[in-house]
Amino acid sequence: MNKILFKLFTAAFLLTSLGTSASVWEGGNAENGEALFNANCASCHYTTAEVLAAPGLLGVKDRWKGVSDETLILWIQNPQAAAETGDKYVKSLVERYVPTYGWMTAQAVSAEEVKDIMAYVQVAATQVAGAGDATAGADCPTIGDDLEESGSASTTVWFLILLVLFIVVALAASGVRNSISNAIANDGDAEAGLTYTDRVKAWMGRNMAFVSIIGLVLVAYGATIGYQALMGVGVYEGYQPDQPIKFSHSIHVCENEVDCQYCHSSASKSKHAGIPSTNVCMNCHKGIKKGKQYGTEEIGKIYAAIGFDAATGTYIDGEGNNGHKAPQDDFDGDPIKWNKVHNLPDHVYFNHSQHVVVGGLECQNCHGDVQKYTVGRIAPVDEVAALVNDYPGLIPLSKPTLTMGWCIECHNKAEIDLASSDYYEEIHNRLKNDVRGNEELRKYMEDEEITVRELGGWECAKCHY
Amino acid sequence: MGNTKRYWSGLEELKETNDYKTTLENEFPEEQTVDAFLADEKLKDVNTGRRDFLKFMGFSITAATLAACETPVVKSIPYVNKPEEITPGVANYYASTYYDGNDYANVLVKTREGRPIFIKPNRALGASGELNPRINSSVLGLYDAARVEGPTKGGQAIDWASADDEIMKALAAAQNPVILSNTVLSPSKQRAIDMFKAKYNAGHVQYDSISYSGLREAHKAAMGKAIIPSFHFDKAKVVVSIAADFQGSWLQSNVFSADFAKTRVPEGKWMSKHFQFESNLSLSGTNADVRTMIKPSQEGKVAAALYEIITGAGAGAVEGINNNAVAAAAQMLKASRGEGIVVAGSNDPNIQMIVVEINKALGNYGATINADRPINLFQGNDANFAGFVESMNQGAVDFLIIDGVNPSYSYIDGAAFDAGLAKVKTSVATSLYADETASKATYITPDHHALESWNDLAMTNDRVDLVQPTISPLFNSRAAGESILKWSGVETDYYTFLRQTYNPAYTAADMYTDAAWNEAVQNGYKPNNASVGVDTVEQEEALPTGGMNISAALSAVKAIKGGQVELAIYQKVGMGDGSQAGNPWLHEFPDPVTKVCWDNYVTMSRVDMEAMGLEMEVSQNVHPNVVNVTVNGKTVSLPAIMQPGQTPGTIGIALGYGRGANGENIGKAAFQTAENGTHITKEDGSLVPIGANAAPLASMKNGAVVYAALDVTVEATAEHYPVAATQMHHTYMGRESVVKETTFGAFKAEAGKKKGEASWNKMPALVVHEDLNGDGEINAQDKKYTKEIDLWKEHPVEGVGHRWGMTIDLTACTGCGSCVTACHIENNVPVVGKDEVLRHRDMHWMRIDRFYSSDWSLERGEEEGVGTIESYTRMEHPSDAPQTVHMPMMCQHCNHAPCETVCPVAATTHSNEGLNQMTYNRCIGTRYCANNCPYKVRRFNWFNYQGYKKFQNTNPSQDTLARMVLNPDVTVRSRGVMEKCSMCVQRIQGGKLEAKVAGTPVQDGAIQTACAEACANGAITFGDLNDTKSTVQSISKNNRAYHALEEIGVQPNIFYMAKVRNTEENEA
Repeated sequence: MNKILFKLFTAAFLLTSLGTSASVWEGGNAENGEALFNANCASCHYTTAEVLAAPGLLGVKDRWKGVSDETLILWIQNPQAAAETGDKYVKSLVERYVPTYGWMTAQAVSAEEVKDIMAYVQVAATQVAGAGDATAGADCPTIGDDLEESGSASTTVWFLILLVLFIVVALAASGVRNSISNAIANDGDAEAGLTYTDRVKAWMGRNMAFVSIIGLVLVAYGATIGYQALMGVGVYEGYQPDQPIKFSHSIHVCENEVDCQYCHSSASKSKHAGIPSTNVCMNCHKGIKKGKQYGTEEIGKIYAAIGFDAATGTYIDGEGNNGHKAPQDDFDGDPIKWNKVHNLPDHVYFNHSQHVVVGGLECQNCHGDVQKYTVGRIAPVDEVAALVNDYPGLIPLSKPTLTMGWCIECHNKAEIDLASSDYYEEIHNRLKNDVRGNEELRKYMEDEEITVRELGGWECAKCHY
Repeated sequence: MGNTKRYWSGLEELKETNDYKTTLENEFPEEQTVDAFLADEKLKDVNTGRRDFLKFMGFSITAATLAACETPVVKSIPYVNKPEEITPGVANYYASTYYDGNDYANVLVKTREGRPIFIKPNRALGASGELNPRINSSVLGLYDAARVEGPTKGGQAIDWASADDEIMKALAAAQNPVILSNTVLSPSKQRAIDMFKAKYNAGHVQYDSISYSGLREAHKAAMGKAIIPSFHFDKAKVVVSIAADFQGSWLQSNVFSADFAKTRVPEGKWMSKHFQFESNLSLSGTNADVRTMIKPSQEGKVAAALYEIITGAGAGAVEGINNNAVAAAAQMLKASRGEGIVVAGSNDPNIQMIVVEINKALGNYGATINADRPINLFQGNDANFAGFVESMNQGAVDFLIIDGVNPSYSYIDGAAFDAGLAKVKTSVATSLYADETASKATYITPDHHALESWNDLAMTNDRVDLVQPTISPLFNSRAAGESILKWSGVETDYYTFLRQTYNPAYTAADMYTDAAWNEAVQNGYKPNNASVGVDTVEQEEALPTGGMNISAALSAVKAIKGGQVELAIYQKVGMGDGSQAGNPWLHEFPDPVTKVCWDNYVTMSRVDMEAMGLEMEVSQNVHPNVVNVTVNGKTVSLPAIMQPGQTPGTIGIALGYGRGANGENIGKAAFQTAENGTHITKEDGSLVPIGANAAPLASMKNGAVVYAALDVTVEATAEHYPVAATQMHHTYMGRESVVKETTFGAFKAEAGKKKGEASWNKMPALVVHEDLNGDGEINAQDKKYTKEIDLWKEHPVEGVGHRWGMTIDLTACTGCGSCVTACHIENNVPVVGKDEVLRHRDMHWMRIDRFYSSDWSLERGEEEGVGTIESYTRMEHPSDAPQTVHMPMMCQHCNHAPCETVCPVAATTHSNEGLNQMTYNRCIGTRYCANNCPYKVRRFNWFNYQGYKKFQNTNPSQDTLARMVLNPDVTVRSRGVMEKCSMCVQRIQGGKLEAKVAGTPVQDGAIQTACAEACANGAITFGDLNDTKSTVQSISKNNRAYHALEEIGVQPNIFYMAKVRNTEENEA
């Protein structure tokens, strides 16, 4: 009875207060609200209509129309208590979302701060509708940017076409001349009755020097072209195969600043950098269900692989089977079959952890500006070399990436700091304390640095076994 | 031999239908026919010359080549849900236990991306972690495509539910169900069996493929307990073995060998002395200090003589043998009471009884032999089993579960077992294969492979070793224990049941929470506080006491009479009891003594072979004679090879061969292949097994199976059979720079001398053309150590960074070959099959050279006025009672490597860490390096072993399943390249990386090559020779250390340690 009375009272209060400026929906500081929102709310709520781990907040004002400010504030500060007020809208919220997402975490924000947050939420909603996230990743290319054709259909082709045209014209001209000569032949010309070939031969005999020079140029040209073609065998710079998912490194790394090793986590532990297993994708994509460009289509492929129902936000087979915490114990998941980009021959041993942990290299030193790629790609060596100012320690190289020349070029230049670990310290001591070692050490130090090559980085069995 | 077989592609071809004929004539029916084409008048105008043809061809080939350069798209497939413990590219190790009813070892299983690929010893548990070739090769069995893929009934697949249903119905109706198993070591399985027995009032019979029941029976008679005691060879100063190959196959040979090696250190306070009395030259025989040739019929007499001398009961002499050794052995045993061990290999309870009494008289029990810590292996009782076979034949058994045994093959009277099995109404085999026994059972309900299953094993009652799965079951199999539980009406999975053995309150919720259990799983064992063990009481009771006593035993063994020819049946180090007959690694593994691969044979002495006029040479073109060996009307036909050290008048045949004689599917490699790699078939199309089964030649004596036959006839046949041996010459022909050996006495006399100065390890010096000693003239006295002479510019290795090296102690090495198989598995060494081995194209990176000593020498030749050439010819032939040296030989990683200087493409180069590197992708296969290698350790890939059809039945990498065992860190070599020992460079690189990541220097012992890791005897030590703290450096400075062929000055990074025998002239 008391409750009903209380309700009636609040309803009356609400009606009277609606028109006043004391509402949570007005007069807040959006700037302050943004900071608060990012600190407390952003991990579960979008300001758009999209559902993250909780409903999106677009149009929240309209939705909460008819509910008292106090209930809203209570809902934010202590959701369970708010539910107990018996408010209809709150009840509907609880029924709709709690089974899927669980209770909202109680937030330690004051009524004044709620006002600020709401101010930001409303402003943010209009911004999304308008300018988009222009601030985020202005330098981050969107998908397709790096897929443009390397359109320079090279001057070689044009040269060849011109050459063919020239030869055709020359032959035609000489053919005309031939016919005319034959016609004149009746008048007793010396070349009368000679075949076309004979005439050419005779002409060549007369212009020996010219023919020789032309011939030499042609041979040299052919040799160059052939050499270049052969040097290109096994070089896959710029190789960027289509992938089953239109994945974008740009969105993940550049815009959202996900660390490379968050996904390629074994780069520091193993010879493989590793392609993330689907459960790693789900760490974020359990919440982020819609992509920036392809909406749910591409992200949906992850869900199909692991068996996740985006609508309910649950794994099809449930979590926690057989005492395991991992999703999908029994779901017959279909792994995503990526196309391998960086292929090394079987007889090459390469170890990521050696380079990442021991060598201290950045991923970009070999893979280039991955954060500007969409799907994986072999960075051409020039592109990598161009990053020399952005990444301290990057050694600009000249041989095509992923060729042996490229590997050993770097091994020849990369310096080892003998004081960097006890391992090298020990090697250094052995060199210092032995006559023969000393001799070698002096040789190493002629250029005042010890390179990878000098400590054996050019030896066959470092990579081939 | 021509192939007259006809092949056809289809019925049409066979019947030559009209349609087929038309197609035959008209290969491309749509196109113009050749005749029509040639008849075309216009053709005459076409002028395509030979040169044009060549031009076109050249262009096409270039185009095709360039087009082929396009790399195919490779898929890269990540896990959907990656297990936390797996990092792709990083190996995980799991502690587990190997037990197959014969061998037992604590092991570590290496897995890569969830695939078990290597088994190494788990030494945390002492010598029971040591391996032999059978154990480390067993990992291949997991990937055998011949395994039964799921439950079957009469050979047809059936689902588990219906199989269980039918089996339980049969059980309900059964009057007398029996479980027949191997020795059950698992307390949990024992518990399951007990439940089954209680429910159905069933019987349980244990059977061992190799019987040791005589040993138990003797202990029962002499000590009141039917036990097998634990032997402590590490405490024994004198070991006398009467035909027990305790280093190769007898009982716990892996443990005994490792323990015994600890007493074989010449630098120690004392060195043990080992007497061996035997007829076949066994592995232990080759390592014995004093070996005496006896006949099987004399085994008991030797034991009796020892007994009489030791107890003073008699003169103790055996007629017809060298009694000096018997007397010396007895004297030494007496002199070291409580510090000796006498063992006998015979399963005759009388002989074992005498041996027990000898050990008792010497006070060895409680000292070197521990009867209070008996081992639970081999609980089978032969008399019991014989009784069981009889009751089966009488139709008294109507339901039978066969678990882990294969008596149709391994029992001495397999035919009787088969006849009995046929009378059993319902039989269920839990075998992994449809083998000789399982294929005759009504149902096969396949057990998991050991690497797929949980288990607990109590080899002794003070500890429970755990078996943990390292991979999900590959096939639709079920743990045998779980099957037995299911049929007992208990609906528990075997894992839960196993946990409940130790914690009755266990539920699935406690799976990960029991810290003590987690620790036990990680360590591979559980201290047995709860005294849960296997119950041996029942077995003990079952044994008949038989009123055995020592005097009866003595007179019984003295009464044993041998025939003209006697047969000793033995186990080979590689094949053991034959349970892994489908394992090509074990077939390819050369027997440590005979060096023969892929075959079973009769070993005979030179004297007997000469008398019979048999071919004694074994080579590619000279094939030994096939002989028929007949015992009690049973005949086996096998090739006969000459075995130095074989007692004249005896022959030896190994068990474990002749598997799959009725074409049972036990693995492709178990059958003989023809030159082209296809299986050889009999007239009826069935496959031909390798070798013949020797088990039927053994017989029951005094209630135990005795692996000998005392009256055998051997007949030569006209047939010849090729035998592939990897070592043709038998002696090292006086080249003391290869093998250095001395006696313990001689060693002690000069033990304090500096390296290179003792008479038994002189450093070679060469005469140089300069006046070194300053006597004013250049003569033969001007000598320089080869170490100081350089032909080439020296490669800086010593004192520069790392210098990987190895020492191999020839005194500790018994030649068992664990290193050979470990190397084979680690380095993806191809299996090439018998025909290729016959052509000397074996690929083993590591071999163990086995040299016999010859009783001829150059000195003797000079004395007797025989020319040098003739002397060398005579030296090639080993003496009839030779001494043996086993010498592991692999790439010596020479710092002045002769192979490196001759390679035209620099495919083999030296690293500044001392490794001789082989770069496969550079190699063009000139084979100059192999020609120039003084150690002959380089191997050439004659074929593409992974694809060529010749190797389809032998090479595991041709099987989609078996290739899973390949080590992903080592390149699979292609045709046309050289390969050789890399000193496990993948492990060196991996170990260095680990150190670099941790930021510490490489710790001594952190990096182990596969061979060093596998060596049970500690003969091989690997490490950094530049590391002043390393073991390998200190060993290399020992005065026994030398380089093989030191005089050629190639300066290897492998050191050998001279062999020291504890033998003095007067004692032999």
